[in-house]
Amino acid sequence: MSRYRLCGGLPIVIGLMFLAVPSYAHHSFAAEFDSTKCMDFNGTLTGIEWQNPHGYFHVDVKNASGGVDSWSFQTVSLITLKRSGTSRRDFLDNVGKPVYVRGCLAKNGAKFRAAAETLKLPDGQLRIVGQEVEHGRQEY
Amino acid sequence: MWRGFCGSLSGLALACILSYPASAQDKKAAGKEERPVNAKKGVPLPPGGPTPRLPDGHPDFSGVWFEGSTGGQTFDAAARKQFDPKVTPEEPPPYQPWAAAKIKAMTGTDYELGRASVNCLPRGVPGMVLLNPYPLQLVHTPGQLVQLNELNNNWRVIPTDGRAHDPDPDPGFLGDEVGRWEGDTLVVDTIAIDERTWNDFKGWFHSDQEHVIERFTRPDLNHLFIQVTIEDPKVLTKPWTSAPRLWTRGHEKLQEYFCTNNQEVDQLTKLKDKETSEKRTTKSTVSK
Repeated sequence: MSRYRLCGGLPIVIGLMFLAVPSYAHHSFAAEFDSTKCMDFNGTLTGIEWQNPHGYFHVDVKNASGGVDSWSFQTVSLITLKRSGTSRRDFLDNVGKPVYVRGCLAKNGAKFRAAAETLKLPDGQLRIVGQEVEHGRQEY
Repeated sequence: MWRGFCGSLSGLALACILSYPASAQDKKAAGKEERPVNAKKGVPLPPGGPTPRLPDGHPDFSGVWFEGSTGGQTFDAAARKQFDPKVTPEEPPPYQPWAAAKIKAMTGTDYELGRASVNCLPRGVPGMVLLNPYPLQLVHTPGQLVQLNELNNNWRVIPTDGRAHDPDPDPGFLGDEVGRWEGDTLVVDTIAIDERTWNDFKGWFHSDQEHVIERFTRPDLNHLFIQVTIEDPKVLTKPWTSAPRLWTRGHEKLQEYFCTNNQEVDQLTKLKDKETSEKRTTKSTVSK
């Protein structure tokens, strides 16, 4: 661990750890989405809504009946997406291509609506795009 | 200045913040074995140099400031922490009994629906410093401090010449704020705060008598602390004071954040209706 000195030889790194203190977002995904109903989705990216306070992307997923359900996945804010390395272009360039999403269903029973936690685009890289609903930790 | 800083609470808090342990983000993300490529551990910034000063000799708070210790936005929860509760604990809000009862009756969904942010309203004072995960830019000149908030693209201008409050201020999200210097600390005093703002995300509402005092300090080049005291004789039994909350200097340009596609109010209202309906059904079943 790096050590920093501020004052005449006084070592100021004390080594205490932080307790969990939530950092606050526009709103809590865990309040709106069900941490006990999270699942893997594989489907085709069909589009995005690139606006704040949250982005949304849409994925067509085959259902058990052989049909296709059009899912809407909520992400963190656009500024957080961009600062964490996911751009609008990343989505636009992959419309029509297969994607993987880990998402959690809406508590209010809304059909085909979920919070995205992670997303894998065709480049094969898993990336965080939402708050971590399953473990209750908020991310923007 | 350095000697004074060495003995200060801010110095101790800073020391602890700079030494946070490895992040939980290093662990598996969302139950998956694969680690996301953007789950990077935040690296805390060193002091970076002495406190910059304005031509009048007061500390210069200018800069783009990010919550926590890294000077950037990160998914690393530990790096975003603004204080160590073991070193600078924060007491729960000292509510009067009627206020405590009102908040106790709220549900998690009520908390969400009551948030100014969920309703795309400004977080106001003191929310813009206590409840703001996005960067802010301070533009400091002798006589005034301008705060630009990326969140909702709003701003405030704080005169720092020690002037008195407006004798008849209109209530507003920013309130009527005036600043004065106490040594190297800028004390910002705010009254007339719009009652639609909350002081936390768990129902801490306030009255028209709320009085907020923010204390800005910059112990070195890279670090800024803001400590908030809230008085509210209609809601609290005594004043509440936050820990000195850490912000660290970044180098990014603020981006646009207008809240134009807010779906939460509709979705959360449906959730509230569902919960109310389920509660009625449960009561009805029990009473039979």
